[in-house]
Amino acid sequence: MADLADELVRPSSALTRGDLLKKGTAAAFAIGMFGGLTDRAFGFYGPLKYANKQLAGELRIMQWAHFVPAYDQWLDNTYIKQWGEANDVEVKVDHINNALLYSTGASQVAAQSGHDLFWFISPPSTFQKQVIPVTDIVQEVTKKLGPMSRVARKSTYNPKTKQFYGFPDDYAPDPVNYRRSIVEQAGGSLRTWEDVRKVAPKLKQLGHPVGLGMSNEIDSNMLLTSLLYCYGGFIQNEENRIVIGQGSNRKGAIEALELMRDIYRNGMSDEVFAWTAASNNQAFLAGRLSVALNAISIARSAENSGNAALADDTWLASIPRGPVMRMGNEHVMGVFVIWKFAKNKEAAKKYLVDQQLGYREHFIRSLYYNFPAWTGAIKGGFKSIRQLSAQDTHKPKGKYTILTTIAEKYTTNPGHPGNTTPVIDEIFNTYLIPQMFAVVARGESTPAEAVSSFANKAQTIYRKWRNQGLV
Amino acid sequence: MEAQAARGRPVSGRWRHALESRSVLAPLLIAPAVVFMALVVGVPFAWAIYLSFTNAIGGSLTGDWVGFDNFTNAWQDDNFRRALRNTLIFTLASQAIVVVGAAVLSNFLVRDFRGKWLVRFLVVLPWAAPVVLSTIGWLWLLDSLYSVVNWTLARLHLDNGLVWLLSAVNVEEDAQVPLQWLGRPNLALIAITLVHAWRILPFAVVIFIAGRASIPNEVEDASRIDGATGVKKLWYVDIPLQLPIALVAVLFGIVFTAVDFAVVYLLTRGGPFNSTQVLPTWAYAIGIDGGSLGEGAAISLYLFPLLVVVSVGMLFFARRAQVS
Amino acid sequence: MTWRQKGVTYAVVVPFAILLAFPFYFALVTMFKTNLDLANVEHSPYLYNDLEGGFHWDFWNYATTEHVRFLFEDTNYPRWLLNTLVVGAAVVAITLLLAMPAGYALARLAGGWGQSAGVAIFLIYLIPPTLLFLPLSRLITQLDLKDSLWSLILIYPSFTVPFATWLLMGFFKTIPQELEDAALIDGASRLKAFALIILPISLPGILTAVIFAFSLCVNEFIYAFTFISSSEQRTVSAGIPNDLIRGDVFFWQSLMAATLIPAIPLALLYNAFLDRFIKGFTGGAFR
Repeated sequence: MADLADELVRPSSALTRGDLLKKGTAAAFAIGMFGGLTDRAFGFYGPLKYANKQLAGELRIMQWAHFVPAYDQWLDNTYIKQWGEANDVEVKVDHINNALLYSTGASQVAAQSGHDLFWFISPPSTFQKQVIPVTDIVQEVTKKLGPMSRVARKSTYNPKTKQFYGFPDDYAPDPVNYRRSIVEQAGGSLRTWEDVRKVAPKLKQLGHPVGLGMSNEIDSNMLLTSLLYCYGGFIQNEENRIVIGQGSNRKGAIEALELMRDIYRNGMSDEVFAWTAASNNQAFLAGRLSVALNAISIARSAENSGNAALADDTWLASIPRGPVMRMGNEHVMGVFVIWKFAKNKEAAKKYLVDQQLGYREHFIRSLYYNFPAWTGAIKGGFKSIRQLSAQDTHKPKGKYTILTTIAEKYTTNPGHPGNTTPVIDEIFNTYLIPQMFAVVARGESTPAEAVSSFANKAQTIYRKWRNQGLV
Repeated sequence: MEAQAARGRPVSGRWRHALESRSVLAPLLIAPAVVFMALVVGVPFAWAIYLSFTNAIGGSLTGDWVGFDNFTNAWQDDNFRRALRNTLIFTLASQAIVVVGAAVLSNFLVRDFRGKWLVRFLVVLPWAAPVVLSTIGWLWLLDSLYSVVNWTLARLHLDNGLVWLLSAVNVEEDAQVPLQWLGRPNLALIAITLVHAWRILPFAVVIFIAGRASIPNEVEDASRIDGATGVKKLWYVDIPLQLPIALVAVLFGIVFTAVDFAVVYLLTRGGPFNSTQVLPTWAYAIGIDGGSLGEGAAISLYLFPLLVVVSVGMLFFARRAQVS
Repeated sequence: MTWRQKGVTYAVVVPFAILLAFPFYFALVTMFKTNLDLANVEHSPYLYNDLEGGFHWDFWNYATTEHVRFLFEDTNYPRWLLNTLVVGAAVVAITLLLAMPAGYALARLAGGWGQSAGVAIFLIYLIPPTLLFLPLSRLITQLDLKDSLWSLILIYPSFTVPFATWLLMGFFKTIPQELEDAALIDGASRLKAFALIILPISLPGILTAVIFAFSLCVNEFIYAFTFISSSEQRTVSAGIPNDLIRGDVFFWQSLMAATLIPAIPLALLYNAFLDRFIKGFTGGAFR
C-alpha cells in the first residue's frame, strides 16, 4: 500500500522476504506493459500550424506528483526532453502534491508570475479571469481527433463567456473496487444502489463492510455527488442554476440521503467520517473493506502490495445504478491553463496540442489512469482503449477493460448536468456535500432539513459567483 | 572615567552623550526591528485588510469594493461560527494543559536524578520535529484502522473502559471500539487539542526552565538568607521573577495554536462534517481552494481583534505583575 | 534528594516522557518496517513481525532499510536538510541582530511610548498568516527572489523577530537593574554595559531565542511551499509532504524516517542548552 510507489520506481530491487512476491508481479507487469513500446515511442503528430514557427526559450510546467511515480520519471526524463529537442524549447516540469495546486496557483496569480502551463486536478474555474482562453487549440485538436469527450467539455467550457478557459488533458474514470469473493459470499450484488443497501449489512457481518466515505476529502465528495445523480438529486440544472431544493431534485436528494443513512447504520461504522483521501485505499488493502469507490489506485496498489490473493480478488465495476440513472463523476479531471502572464504562450500551446495528439503512450505509462480528453487521441477510440487495457496481465484478466465502459457511458463532470462552475468548486472545497450526508447518517438532522440547509448554502454561493459574472 | 575623557572631545562627545540618553538610544535600537517588520509584514497585512473589503477571487490582489459584505456573509454561515468557537476551544484548552504541564515538569526536570539527560531529551523531542511531519505521524497514530493508540488501548484492555467513560461524561454517547478519534466531533476536538498540547508543551517547558535559570543566584542567595523557603519563596520570589517570561511562553502558545493551520488541516481538514474547522482552515477552504479570496481574507481577520484584546490584556497584566 | 523525593520525581517525569516521546519510538520502529508487516492490522506496531505476526529476537531480519534508502537516494531529502539548515542559520543571525537591541531597549530604556512600540511589535505576530502568503508572493516576485532560499531568509524573520524580541525582553527584565547601574557608575557606556554585563548574563535567554527561532523556521511550510516550486530548493517541511504523499498514497515508512531524522539532532541540541540552563540554575555558570 504505502509503497506501491517505490516498487513502481524500481521493479527489480531486492527487498525483504515478504516483498519478494511483489517483486515478481511488478517485474512481470513492467515487461508486459513497456516491453513492446520502446521502438515506437515518439511519434509527434505534426506538422501543425505551428510547425514553421520557431519556438524558443523555456517552458515551465507545473503539475501534480502522479500517483504512478514511474509516469513522472518518464515524463521528466524522457518525454519532455525529446519534445524540447524537437521544438527548440527547454522544458522543465515541477511536480507538487495535488492538495497544494490551488494555493500555488493563487500565489502565482498574486505574484503575476509563474509557470507557463499549470495543471489542475479539477477544473480551475475560479481562475477564469486570470487565464487566456484556449478555444483556438481546442478547435485545432478537435479538427484532428474528432469531438472532445463530454466530460472534458463540460469541465472546461464556460457557456457564459463562450470560451474554453482551460485545456482538458486527461481524466480518470471512477470505478467501484470490490472484493469479488466476499461480495459473492454475502450473496449480493452491486448492480444497483438498492442492491448495495441490501448487501451492506451482510458484508458488515462478514467483517468486511462497504467503505463509502462521508468525510472531508475528495473521494467522499466525488462519490456522494455521483450518488445524488443516480437518484436524480442534481445540485444544479443545465443552466447552472441551483435546483437541489426543489421538485424532483429535492425528492431524489432525500432518497439518496436516506440510502446512505441506511447503509451507514446497518453496514458501516463511524470510520467513514474520519477518512482522508488515502484511508479507503489503506482499509481496502488491509483486507477490511469489501467495496470502495476510487480510481484504479486501489487495484494497482493491491497488485503491488505483495498480497497476491487480495490483488486477484480485487475486481472493478461500474458505479451502481440508481432509480434515475447510472452516472458517476470522474475521479480526476486534469486541466491545463495558460496564465495571462505566462511568458511562453506559444510553446505552451504547442506542447498541449502535441501531448494530446500523442496521448496513447501517456495512457499506457500512467497504467490506464490518465484517459485522454479526446477519445480519438488513441487511434480507434474506445475500441482501442479497451484492447490496450485488455493487455494488462494481472488477474482477473481483462479487469481494466471495464474502465472503458465507465469512461464511455457513466462518467460525467461535477455539476452534472451543468458545467463545473466556481459554485461547484466552492461547494466541494467547503465539504458541504459530505456534511449534508453525515448529519443525516448520524441522525442529527432529517434528510429534508439537510437538503434545505444545503440548498440555502449553495444558493448563497451561487449569488456570490453570479455577481462575479462567472455563472 | 571614559565619560570624563569624552568631555575633552566635544564632537564625538556629543554623539556619546546622545547614545547615553534613553530618548535617543531606545528608538535607535528598536528602529531596525520595527522598520523591517513594517516593510515585510505591514504592507502585505494592509493589503490583506484591503482584500477583505473587496470581491477579489482566485488569487487576484485586486477587486471591487464591497464594504463589510464579506464579514457579514461569513458570519451568517454556521460553519464559520463553529470554526470561531473551535479556534477558541483549541487555544484555551490546549494552553491550559500546557501551562499546568510545563509548571510541573520544569519544576521536576531541574532536579538531579539518574537518567535526567534521557528524560529531558525525550521531553523536548516533540518540539524538535517539524510540525507538519509530526502531525502526519499523528495521522497514522489516530488512523481509522491502524491507530496505534487504539491498538495499545486494546492490548491494555482499556478501550471498553474509555468508551464507557466517554459515554458516562456525555462526551460521545454511542461511540464504539475501536474509537474513531478523527471521525467523531467531540473525540476529534479532544484529539486535536491533545496534539496541540503535545507539540507546545516542550516549548513551554524549555522557556520555564530558562526563566528559572536566568534568575540570578544573588536573588536565590538573598532569599535563602532572608529565610524564605517553600511556598513562601515560590509566591514572593520565584513566581514574580518568572512571570514575565512565563507570560511570554503562554502568549506565544496561544498565538501558535490560534493561528495554526497545519494540525487541523492535516488531521481532519475540518471534518468530520466541518465540526473541527478553525478560522485558518475555513479561511483557506473559502479563500484559496474555494477561490473567494476577499471572503477568505475577512474570515482570517476575524481572529485578529480578539487576539489583540487578549494580548494587550496579558501584557498589561505582565507589566503590573512586574511592578509589584 | 531523599528516596521519597526521587520516587516522586520519577513518578512525574517518566509518564510525561513516555507520553511525549512515544510517537517517536513508533516512528523509529515504523521506518524500518516491511510493507506487509505495516499493512497487517493484527501486527504489533511496536515490533518487527514475521508474516504470521510473530516476533523473533533476530528482529533485524524482519526489517528493511529500503524505505530509508529510498528517502536518501530517490528523493532530494539530503538537499532539503541542508537547505533547512542554511535558512535556519541565516534567519537566526538576522533575528538576533534585530531582536537583541530591540529587546534590550524595550526592557530597559523605553518609557511609555516604548511599551506601545513593544506591544505593536508583538501584535504583528498576531496577523493571521494563512492568506498573507499571497501579497508576500507578489513582494517576493518583485524582488526577483522566487524559487530561491533568499525568499525564505527574507520573510522568516517577520515571525522570528517579534518572538525573539519579546522573549529577550522578558529575560532582560529579570536581570536586576543594580548590576547594570553598577557598570554605569563605573563609567561604562550603556552599550558597553549591554555588551559586557547584560549579554553574558542573559545567555540562557539568547540561546532560547536561537533554538526557538530555528525551530520556527523548520516548522514553517506555507511560504516554503508557495515561494519555491523546484524540488531542489525546498526545505524539509515543504519537500517531504510534497514528494512522499502522492495522490492518495502515503509513503509511511519514509515519512516516519523523515520526521525522526531532523528531530534527533535538534532535540540533542535543545537538551545541551537545557543542560546549561539547569547548571546555571543550580551551579551558577552564568554568574
